[in-house]
Formats: sequence, C-alpha cells, structure tokens
Amino acid sequence: MDRKIFFATCIGLIGLAVLLMPRFCFGSLMLLDDKLRVKGTLYESSTYLTAVKKEDRQYRNTRFGLMKTKGTLELLYTAIQSQQTNLNLFGFFQWWHEAVPDFDGEYRRSISSRARHRYQGPYERADDWINELYADFYHGPWNIRLGKQLVFWSEVEMVRTVDRVNPLDLRYTTPGIDPWDEMKLGLWMLRGFYTSNLPGNLVFEAIWIPGDFQRVRTPLDGTSLGSNPGPQGPVNLRPRAYGQNAAIDDMFRRDQPAWNLGNSTYALRIRGTSDIPLLRTSYLVDWTISWYHGMNTTPVARRETLGYPSTLNLNPETLNGYLNYLAVSRVFGAQNIPHAPHKRFWRYKYFDAIGLSGQTFIPQLKGVLRGEFAYEIGLDENKCFPNHIDPSPSYAKVITGTTDRNQANVGITFDRPVRWRWLEEQYWLGSSGVIETTLGWYGQWRQGNVNRIRRTFAYNDRTQSNFTGTIRFNLRHNEIFPVFRFLYNPRNWGYLVFATKYQPGKHMRYELGWLYFFAKNPWDSSEAYAENKDFIYLRVGYEF
Amino acid sequence: MKRIVSLLVAAVIVIAGYSYAAEIVFPTPCYQADELTKLRAWEQNWVGKKITSENVDSVKEFLHEAVYRAMKNPETVGSPGPLWFEIVAYRPYEPSPGLIAATKKYAPEAKLDASENLVGYGEVAGFPFPQPKTGIEMAWNFDSYTRGDSNYLFHGGTVVDCRTRLEREAGHLRWELSWIGRYDVEPIPKIPDSDNPRGIARSFFQRHTAPPDFMDTTMLELRYKDAREEDLWVYTAMFRRIRRYATSQRTDTIDGTDMIYDDQEGWYTHPTRNTYKAIGRADLLVARHQKPKIVQRATGQGFWNGLQRERVNHWVVEVVNKDPNYIYSKQIWYLDPEVWQMNFKVVYNRQGELWKLFEMCKDEYPSAGGGKTVMPTTEHTIDFIRHHGSPGDREIKEIGQPISLKQFTTRALQEKSY
Repeated sequence: MDRKIFFATCIGLIGLAVLLMPRFCFGSLMLLDDKLRVKGTLYESSTYLTAVKKEDRQYRNTRFGLMKTKGTLELLYTAIQSQQTNLNLFGFFQWWHEAVPDFDGEYRRSISSRARHRYQGPYERADDWINELYADFYHGPWNIRLGKQLVFWSEVEMVRTVDRVNPLDLRYTTPGIDPWDEMKLGLWMLRGFYTSNLPGNLVFEAIWIPGDFQRVRTPLDGTSLGSNPGPQGPVNLRPRAYGQNAAIDDMFRRDQPAWNLGNSTYALRIRGTSDIPLLRTSYLVDWTISWYHGMNTTPVARRETLGYPSTLNLNPETLNGYLNYLAVSRVFGAQNIPHAPHKRFWRYKYFDAIGLSGQTFIPQLKGVLRGEFAYEIGLDENKCFPNHIDPSPSYAKVITGTTDRNQANVGITFDRPVRWRWLEEQYWLGSSGVIETTLGWYGQWRQGNVNRIRRTFAYNDRTQSNFTGTIRFNLRHNEIFPVFRFLYNPRNWGYLVFATKYQPGKHMRYELGWLYFFAKNPWDSSEAYAENKDFIYLRVGYEF
Repeated sequence: MKRIVSLLVAAVIVIAGYSYAAEIVFPTPCYQADELTKLRAWEQNWVGKKITSENVDSVKEFLHEAVYRAMKNPETVGSPGPLWFEIVAYRPYEPSPGLIAATKKYAPEAKLDASENLVGYGEVAGFPFPQPKTGIEMAWNFDSYTRGDSNYLFHGGTVVDCRTRLEREAGHLRWELSWIGRYDVEPIPKIPDSDNPRGIARSFFQRHTAPPDFMDTTMLELRYKDAREEDLWVYTAMFRRIRRYATSQRTDTIDGTDMIYDDQEGWYTHPTRNTYKAIGRADLLVARHQKPKIVQRATGQGFWNGLQRERVNHWVVEVVNKDPNYIYSKQIWYLDPEVWQMNFKVVYNRQGELWKLFEMCKDEYPSAGGGKTVMPTTEHTIDFIRHHGSPGDREIKEIGQPISLKQFTTRALQEKSY
C-alpha cells in the first residue's frame, strides 16, 4: 500500500511539474561561492508493450513493461584552482524505482523475489546509487582521476567494439533508445592522462581497475525485456518464477570474482591527431590505439563442475545436471523449484583486446567518417556438440567444455548532414532544414572452428554484419527532434525506432517513441529474440 | 618652354596626387568637419531622448527598415508593451596603438590576388584597406579585426518563441585566439609558424553552461589561413564523446537560436566564400557603446529595450554566398567605418523576403597593449517570418590575455568537463 501511495505521489508530482515547470523554473544551482555546481534530473520512463503474444499474457495483467522513476544528482566541487594545479571532485548519484511489479500481480509472480528486489531499484550492488564519484586532479601535463568512473572510448554509435571498459546494464533499455552513459556501470579505478608535446598532440591514457568487476546485466527472466520463465510447468502453476535463465543469472551473479588486486583490469590508450595526405587531399584524422586486458563480462562454464553433457544428467552438483534437473522440476510441477546450488559453476576469464579508432572529415563528401577496429584475443567460449550430433537450438545445447577464440570486430559510420530545402522553407515548422544522417556497418569475424562454439548470437556463423542508420532533424527551433533509427542484420532480424523528443522550455523534457523488433530466428541474438517485445515508450523529465 | 613648364607642373601634380593617395589615413572617424558639426547640432535636440514605439516615426530616417518594423509592431517580437531605446551622443572609437601602427605599416602594400585573397594573409596585420573602394576590400577589413588578439567571455542567450512567449536558455564560456593578424599582444603579427604548422588563422574554444542537458558540452573550431574548410569538434557531455562535425553543418542553427554557425560575430568564416558589392553609406542609429547590464526585456520578448543608440555613418555591403544553395539569398552588412565591425546585418531568404535582423551592440574595453578594443556586449536576432528571437548578452572577462595553445587541441575538450 505504501508503495502505491509513493507511486501515486510520484506521478502526481511529475504531472504538476509537467503543468507548471516550462515557464516558472530557474537554472542549475551554483553554491558555496560558485565552487559547488549542482545539477540533476527527475525522469519518469514508461513502456507499453504492443506485441504481447497469447502465451505471454499469462505472465502479466497489464501491458506496461516499465514504469521507472529515476532521479539523478550531479555535484561538482572545485577544491583547488590555480594556474598549474586543479582539483575537482565529481559525484553522479542516482536512484530509481521500477514500479510495474508493484501493481501487476502476474508480472510480479514471474520474477523471483530476490531478483525482483534487485531489479526494482539500485540494489544489485551496494554502491549502485553511485554512478560516478571521483577526484579529478590536474597538474601541468598530468591528469589523474581516482574513483568510480565511466570510460568512453567509442567513436561510433549503437554497437560497441573498442569501448570495453565499463559493462552495460541492459535490464531496462536497449541501445538505440538510451545513450551508453545511461547503460554503463561505473567501476572504481585509477585513470591517468599525460598530454605530451610530441607531434600529433599525443595523449597517453592508462587505466588500472584494482579488482572491481561487474558482469553485464542482461534482461531479467520474467521482466518485459527478458524471456518468460521457462520451461513452463503445468497450467495451474503459471506463472512460476525462476526459469532456467533466472537460474543462470543467479549463478552468474554469485560467481562474480571477488574484489581483490588479483582480479585487476588494465587498459592503455594513445590518442592523437595527425594530418594524413591521400590523393592530394590532407585529412586531419583523430585516432586512437588501445589495449585492454580484463575479464569478459559474461562467464564460461567451469570444466571441473560441468558434468556429463547429456540431457539425462540430472545431478544438481554439476552445471549440466542442475540445469536439466531444474527444467524437469519445472515441467513436472515439482513443489519446490531447485535453486542454484552453492557451487561455482561459472568462471569469468581474462582476454585481451587491441583497438584502433579514427574519425575525419571528408571534404569531397561533406561528411565525417568514423571507424573502429577491435581484435579480441583469447575470448573464452562454451563448447557444444555439432549440429549433426545435437540438433537442438544453440541456446538449448548441453555444454561440452570450453575453449577460446580470437575475434575481429569492425565498425564504420558515415555522418552527413543533408539540407532539405523544402523542410527549411516550411517556415511554420521552424526547422533549420538540416537532416542529420548516419549510416553504419558493423562486422564481426570469428577465427577458428565455429561449429562447436555454443552461442546464442549467430550460431555457426563465421562472420556477421549489422547495418545501422539514424535520421534526425529539428522542428520549432530545436524544441522538437524527430528521430528514426534502425539496425538490420542480413539474417533478417533487427529493430526500428521512431521517436520524438520535445523540449519546450528550460527544464522539461518529453520523449515519445515506438520500438519495433523483427526477427526470423528468434534465438539469433538478444535483439532478435525480442520480436514480441515491441513497445511504445514515454519519458517525461525535469532537468536542472 | 611653356609646354615643358606645363608638363613639369602636371607631373608634380600627378606625383603629389599619388603621394596623397598612398598616405594611410587611420583612424577613420564616422564624421568629420561639416558632417560632425551637423551631427552635433542634431544631437542637441535628440540626445537623452527616449524613443518608443509611439514616437519612433520621429527618427525613422535614422533607423533601418527592419528595426523600424520591430519598433512599430512590438507584438511581433513578443513584447507586451511598447519597445524603447535611448539616443546617446556619437563617440568615436579609440583604436589601440597596435592596430593603428599595424594598419599604417601593412596597408600601403595591401592588395588582392585574382581569387580575391589578401596577398600575404597571415604575415600582415591591421586593416588592409582603411580607405576601401570595393566590397571585398571592406570584407577583408572586417576579417582583420582580432578583438584584442585573444579574449575570454561569457555569452548568455535566450531562445524565444515570440508567439507563445516560451523561452529556453543557452550559455557558454568562450575563448578566442587570433593566430595571425595580431597587433596588440606579442607575438606580433603572428604566432610563429613553428607553433602553427597547420596554418590556423582563428580558433575558438567554447564550453556550454546551459541548458542543463547541454552543460559541459564543448566546441573547438579551427579556421585556417587558406580557404580550406574549418575543422570543428564537439565534446558532447551527454554522450561523453569527442565528435568531428561536418562543416556543412555551419548553416545549421546554433542550438535553436536564429543564428547559424556562419553568423557568429556577423560572419565567421573565410571572406572569399562570398561575393561583395559596396552599395554606399547609411547613417543609422545603432548601439555601439552599449552597457550590457542596463538592457531589459519581458519574458517572451525577443528584442531588447533600453539600447543606447548613437548615429553612425555605415558602409553598406551586399553579400551573396558563392554557393547557389546557400541558406540566405543575400545579406546586407552594415560596417562601422572605425573598426570595420558589423553593427548589424539583415538577411533575405531564397524568395527574397526579409528574414532576419541581427543587431550586434558593442562597447569598448581596454586593450592589453593600450587603447581600446571593441567587443560585442549585447545582441538580438529577430526572425521576422517565424516570429522568433534570440536576445543575448556577454560578460567580457579578459582581453588580450595569454592563452595556452594547448587549449585549442582536442584533448582540452574533455578536460574538466563532466
């Protein structure tokens, strides 16, 4: 009841803000003699599912997929400011509450209680409410940042290749709607920069993460972006939380490495700007070279506790056995669902990635070309039987062992603003007539034998391609931004986003959009299996 | 004999005439001798008077049509009441000694090549054509003013929908550096080539402070001596990325204001991108000793009240971009003869309609090398077709201060931004 009152109060306050704020608000706060800058947001984000299938309806009473109230507070304190030395303290704090499980009983029952608590707020880790908190120290050419931080190494949008340092939280959103900084999980680290006088204005960057590790947070079993809890049991026991994916998530979380120096991550990057002459034109290229040594945010099975790779293995002391035992228990409606045993079934393993990135303006094409390349070395993978032995879909194959592979990833985008004269001359629309367009291609090349690699993403494929596009323009003097985005994979899956942002005044922000997933093979990738996840979304926020 | 004497006399007259023509006259006040006397007589009746929407007809002859139009129809610029300004006495500017010396040193040799580029651009300083004859010469004069060689200011602005009277705020801190054409602060006349291998002419570094979602977004633009396209980088705080921007985005509006990137300071790119035609003089009331803090406006009003206007006899130049698809069909620049800066300009759309008025009010500030530097202090842009306005003001923090060249590198974009 208290939660309902709280929720109603939040909605009421947001509504009041919507009505009153556009005209009667003031700017961000500067306190303590302008030494402390205070900035913040309050957002209400909702999704309404538009493609719920008949079988999905048993897992929810309503079509609301998300009703998340999120507040952020950014504090920047200037502690030392002199010609040579500067010290700034920066904190970015957040809090959120996801309310759909509070008012949708079936939805609530589809998520296991412990996982639900962690999902509904910043409770996955004790420090989730701190997105960033660090001291930023400058002295001459040196810059040291110490504390919890987000690192952005990417040049391109929508798909990550080089940008590896922070893991993602994909439980509430998908790339293409929210920016990466909304999805990244901060890590406690020491980060240093040295700005040299070498040609190209080279900047050397080093990162040491002394054992802080976070796994990728994938959509939770039973939630709107996650899978339905499965396999299903008898009809009278549906919905029943803690399906196989929930169990795997539980184990992934429990098997995360502890915080100690032995689990350190290291990364280096050199950034420069160079003139590169090519065919009588000189291109000013911003480039980076990077190296990353860290643990994969998704684990592989431990060989010691893997167990016999057969569906007949029901020994819960082994990984294959436990997953089979869980499935059988669910299918036959066992009174107690067996929770994951306190055994370490998964291991997060180190790999290395060498990265290159660059961007330059191409005068002949009047656009900007950006590119990234990452070569991942020793990326651990689970193995399975090849198709002729085990014809089940990739996600359901028993795990036979582990191996490692090298993998090359490349991403190229081209941005070009296009002036649409007709739009510009519709003066009543208040548009500048400039349409920002971005086209991208992302490729992946897997080395070695791929037939025995157990993946849910492009199983048995040596190469993969994704094509992306973004079109964005403005109306009413940048009050309104219509945006269209798509991602298309030639295996015939992808998604489209139509959205409109509206920022009428100094502080209020609104966004309305529709996300449509399409898929041929629903288990091809995380986006591909979301064909029943289409939704309309609305975000209303206040920023100061 | 008579013929010889006549020839000698003629030769003396011609040589004297050439010598006179070669003499560089600078500073060049707006009014001299009789003109000044007449102006002072006019001022005796008008200085200190408040001109409002009601009595604006009395000075109509000294107002540009666009200003008059706004004054007569205050509701079109979102004003709930009459607009007003004050008439003040004309005061000549006090150019810095460095500007005077550079102009006298380099102007005698100034000339344009076949492509209308200034010969020796980058090696000279001051106004190349203090007594210009053509529009392009005036444009090069406009380009040659460095605003103190470097400056640091806060620029606040408001995006105003004059119909709904809804406002959105914008603001940024801006550092600007002239790499060439320097006359006030060492190194003069340019930053040594060893420190400027790319041949940068001007650069600015701009950190946004408002609106909240734009805070810490930082821009860096490098403009070059030659006509190659500018390089523009933007660190977008929301996405934490340094993005190269296509310079074709220069005709996009700046964050919803009525200005495009080329409109900054009147014209913010290479002079040779346009064709110019001098179309005469115009004696108009403009604010060029404008104290920024005294202007006023109501919420939803896109046009300042309280401007302190003085008469200035402008040079008028018609400007047409060489790109036939350019957003403006033509611009009319009103250049101040004393510092060759634009006091205002009007632009026309492709259908030939009056589209926008830019008034760039100025004031004088002490230069680092003595004398004064003229800086924009207050401005408003009015879009007459969309009934939209962008009033803004500036707080000049420093002029001629030393700025590290490292500030104009991509690394600086990300420093101290959160």
